[in-house]
Amino acid sequence: MESRPVIQLDGLVVRFGNRTILDNLNGSLSGRAIGLLGPNGAGKSTLINTLLGFFKPARGTARVFGHDVQTATRRVRGLTGYMPENDSFIARMSAVSFVTYMAELSGLPRDAALERAHEALFYVGLGESRYRKLEEYSAGMKQLAKLAQAIVHGPKLLFLDEPTNGLDPSARQRMIRLIRDIREKGDLNLILCSHLLRDVEETCEEVVILKQGRIVHYANLEEERLLNRKFIELETDGESEGFAEGLRGLGCECALTGERRLKMVLTGAVEIRDVYRIASERGVNIRRLNYKRDSLEDIFLKAMENGHGQWSAPAHAEVQNGRV
Amino acid sequence: MSAEDRIVFEDVSKFYGDVLGVNQVRVSIPPGITTLVGPNGSGKTTLMNLMTGLVQPSRGSIRVLGIPPSDPERLFSVLGYCTQFDSFPRGLTGYEFIYYSLRLHGMGAGRADELTARALERVSMSEAAHRRVASYSKGMRQRIKLAQAIAHQPAVLVLDEPLNGLDPMARSEAIALFRSLAAEGSYLVISSHILHEVDRISDQVVMLSNGYVVAEGQIQAVRGEMHQEHPLQILVRCNRPGALAGKLFAEDHVCDVRMHHDRRGLVVATRAPEVFYKLLGELVLEGAIDLESVAPADDDAHSVYEYLIGSGGAQ
Amino acid sequence: MAVYKRGYEPYTGRLTPEWSRFLIIARHAYRGMFESRFLVSFLVVCFIYPVVAAVLVYLPHNAAAMAVFDVRKLFPVDGAFFLKFLSWQGTLAFLLTGFMGPGLVAVDLANNALPLYFCRPFSRAEYVVGKMAVLGFVLSAITWVPGLILFAFAAYLEGFAWFTGHLRFAFAVFVGSWLWIVALCLLALAISAWVKWRIAAGALLFGLFFVAAGFGQAINHSMNTDLGHMVNLASIIGAIWAWLLHESAPMPVANAWFSLSAAYAACYWLLRRKLRAYQVERA
Repeated sequence: MESRPVIQLDGLVVRFGNRTILDNLNGSLSGRAIGLLGPNGAGKSTLINTLLGFFKPARGTARVFGHDVQTATRRVRGLTGYMPENDSFIARMSAVSFVTYMAELSGLPRDAALERAHEALFYVGLGESRYRKLEEYSAGMKQLAKLAQAIVHGPKLLFLDEPTNGLDPSARQRMIRLIRDIREKGDLNLILCSHLLRDVEETCEEVVILKQGRIVHYANLEEERLLNRKFIELETDGESEGFAEGLRGLGCECALTGERRLKMVLTGAVEIRDVYRIASERGVNIRRLNYKRDSLEDIFLKAMENGHGQWSAPAHAEVQNGRV
Repeated sequence: MSAEDRIVFEDVSKFYGDVLGVNQVRVSIPPGITTLVGPNGSGKTTLMNLMTGLVQPSRGSIRVLGIPPSDPERLFSVLGYCTQFDSFPRGLTGYEFIYYSLRLHGMGAGRADELTARALERVSMSEAAHRRVASYSKGMRQRIKLAQAIAHQPAVLVLDEPLNGLDPMARSEAIALFRSLAAEGSYLVISSHILHEVDRISDQVVMLSNGYVVAEGQIQAVRGEMHQEHPLQILVRCNRPGALAGKLFAEDHVCDVRMHHDRRGLVVATRAPEVFYKLLGELVLEGAIDLESVAPADDDAHSVYEYLIGSGGAQ
Repeated sequence: MAVYKRGYEPYTGRLTPEWSRFLIIARHAYRGMFESRFLVSFLVVCFIYPVVAAVLVYLPHNAAAMAVFDVRKLFPVDGAFFLKFLSWQGTLAFLLTGFMGPGLVAVDLANNALPLYFCRPFSRAEYVVGKMAVLGFVLSAITWVPGLILFAFAAYLEGFAWFTGHLRFAFAVFVGSWLWIVALCLLALAISAWVKWRIAAGALLFGLFFVAAGFGQAINHSMNTDLGHMVNLASIIGAIWAWLLHESAPMPVANAWFSLSAAYAACYWLLRRKLRAYQVERA
């Protein structure tokens, strides 16, 4: 795990006119891949823009790798790569010219820029089409070109804003795989902003949730995965009412979540074998059985309800009789 | 079920000059949530445009609850359409956008006002309704589009990527809205790229690739039909995967057993899943293994997509 | 799926010096531009007048030519000579700006590429200077560069006394050209930043020139004044050139300076508003 903090926020306040967008953000993030979540208008893009030096804080400071984003803006920008959410390209240029241009603007000498541009384009999978003009690219290819220009200069911190926006399932898989690969092989940190919680679950180890300009939750997904070994999801091939009854007879809380689906809590000395015993007694076959961990969606929805501006401990899923 | 109860495509083809939109589509859509799935350019938008009469088929015929799309007056009284495009008439507020579209349907002022309020309520946009659409965030604009589509309480809703740009809460709310509309008996035709959501919300799917329909129906049923070429894969995690593997190799219906990469589980490919589940149950009861989890690894929309359409997406 | 031979690797080589980075914009802009045959032909045409002028400077020193007619009296190398030079090349510079200018910023704004510039160690000032350099180099090549060469040629032929006596011509050509180049650059960039469609931007630039000129004339005639010249770009710069060369001007030079400064300020303000890394939230 990285020991030095990637991002440090100290009483950060950002305003547009008289609207406060970021409200006294405090904290220190040091994970390899950090997910940034929140409802629309929570301030995610504003936070990224502030870290890139596009907005000036009204109060407080933000640091990236120890450098203040206001006083050492150029330094910070030299260390970061940015993949914006919206379409971002120069129409008449070919992918190679475009990525080379961007690499040169980041300070790479011309020949190194050209070499790395080709490498980056091959890496993201645009090798075959790198001489074609960007205006001819499909939506998925444009996203990949955006990723290529973000990594070409070898940044230490990568900001990805909705990287799978508009991508069809195959392209989305490709993008997630690339992001995971960059995270593992590259010597860099990632900050990923997305509305698709699955994307964040698949790529990030830590998650920061913003709401109305404040941090309302921080979760370490690795730790979450190790908790909650007691909640189980089941799916059977037959009528489940009787089965649920039998499980309750063991002393476990149990609820139906669909025609053949159940949720239950393993309490006391009850084991999986006992569950199977009940199933066989009631004449049902179990098709599926797995531990249900708090998915990121549960964590997110709970954070929206809590809404304090503090680090709160990871919450647990609850199962109440009869209610999903 | 007669054809009056469904949305029927009968041998429909649509070409744009030489370019293929869709080819020989035969689909019959029942009530409930039907999701159109496929890569970009596979024909989803073409199908939606055909359904709403925005384009005419080159061949074949379409009937939406018995109404041909060439009759827009009748069609749009039962159909609501939410496009994927993010543009609105300039200068309107959210309320005005919905209200005037209802007036265009021929409704009186009072009724239009009532329905507008109701629609706004359903998408939780009542507060922001009197601000200009240009000032809305992407998620809010999406919700206003939805409201406009449902305002006149149509039986059929055609929604092109309705969850695009919505944050997780708004997604859940929209999904709940779709479910409640489906429960009321509406026909929802939704296109989406997010396959795990497709799993959650759809009653049936229509999978498209390169203008052809490659699969239609419930995901599990579709998967069931594919058992021959793609036997169901089940991931079993237990304390003694090796011993389990030994027992499984003896079974006829098991065609492949692989060690999971973390070596604490097996991926079993079987042609008869029900037999397998029964056998597994017996082994657990005997005490031969301590089971941690068992779950099908590839009977979701994503796996079906991979098998039928694969990753040969346009490059 | 992508099959990649090499994975992602960070960059550990040297970086280019920061001050020189604005030139990257110019270099990349030229790549596409000089493939246009029209542009290259036009550039060639821009050098015709300087060559003719050079010949006129030479002829008085050619005995054979002087025998035919008194070239020195017909085409004296004086302030008016250089004023005509500036006017003619200045007009060509304006036309060239009309062709090259509109696409400069519009092409970046059309598809939201600005955030990608500014998320790098690259400031708005460097961006503007870089874009101006695109025009600046070419416009210099057709205005003060041939102008100064012409002056040097004349000085070489006329002698050192003439050189020291007429140094102000060199000064006027240099400074006058730069004032006009900066005005053209700012105008082109400002229009390019505000009008995204290249063709419309070009039309606006030409329109601004001719319509303003017409408007200025209309004011002069209808209200019997000279102030109309203040909105006429040609008059403004013409007056300043004339003042630099000690020739007579169509309008008082103070007015001209005022108008020019106002134009600079307006363009600067327009550029500041439009060149942002983030998209402005609509109220």
